[in-house]
Amino acid sequence: MTKQENSNEKWDVQLRKGTLELVILAALKERRLYGLELLKLLHSFETMKITEGTLYPLMDRLKRDELVCALWHQEGESRPRKYYKLAQKGEQKLALLTNRWRQSVEEIEYIIQNPGPQPIEPKGD
Amino acid sequence: MSEHEQIHNYLKYLSKYLSRLDKSSADEVIREIESHILDSIELQEQNGEKPDAQAILDGFGEPRELANHYVEHMLKGTPPPTGFKAIQSVKKGVTKGLYYSMGLFGFGISLLLIIIGLGKLFMPDLIGVWSAAQGNSVIIIFSEDIYPDSKELLGYWLIPIAIALGVGIARLTKGVLAALKSSLQ
Repeated sequence: MTKQENSNEKWDVQLRKGTLELVILAALKERRLYGLELLKLLHSFETMKITEGTLYPLMDRLKRDELVCALWHQEGESRPRKYYKLAQKGEQKLALLTNRWRQSVEEIEYIIQNPGPQPIEPKGD
Repeated sequence: MSEHEQIHNYLKYLSKYLSRLDKSSADEVIREIESHILDSIELQEQNGEKPDAQAILDGFGEPRELANHYVEHMLKGTPPPTGFKAIQSVKKGVTKGLYYSMGLFGFGISLLLIIIGLGKLFMPDLIGVWSAAQGNSVIIIFSEDIYPDSKELLGYWLIPIAIALGVGIARLTKGVLAALKSSLQ
């Protein structure tokens, strides 16, 4: 791994710590997925390659917090799989986190777009 | 070791480390992870790859570590004894003073009760529970001057009752202190 890749990876890990819950809730919006499907979906994005060991305990916590519900289901000849979908509380949390996320992105972008030497004037003031 | 044995061993250790969870929750975790591993192996085969169970297990991490993630919410504090749920909020602000005074209070009462119980055995006339005259109050006494006209209650039953109460309170105190201790660290 090059130094640049290593540094990217560290940044991704830090950012994921705060955003993974939002990502999972958003991924489950209006669809139900089982663990492996969810993991494959996340792995299709460069910055979201989490491990099985991170995903499953997190799903267990989200279920315990009643943000998602889980249901064993067997489709055709396949083995039974545990499917996750958003619970009502999860939908509310997703709406809340989405707003905060968008606000953060806007504010970070604003700061990036307004370098010195002029003093920065917060938006809305 | 065959792929099958590798998976079996992994799930066996995981199951062992998940023993803090109730059995049905632990079984469900194992069932879900087993289903994921078998699905992943099938997927590798479908893609014409050589099935690599070890790589999949590596993604889950060491069984002990994985299990810790599942049980960490239970390890954040020793669960309070049944009926003492309120202690959860109390322990957030627990100080050393509260911890030691709770210990002193609980074990102190426990010791006193045991002394009363044992004392009755050796000094039956001096220690006992009396109902005062007119039955307006109950006196636990250690004295030669028994209240006039009072009537002794319990008699020698005081010995097992006081000792059992003392032991019970000591155990309860121990449980409460264990619940408080996690917040001190």
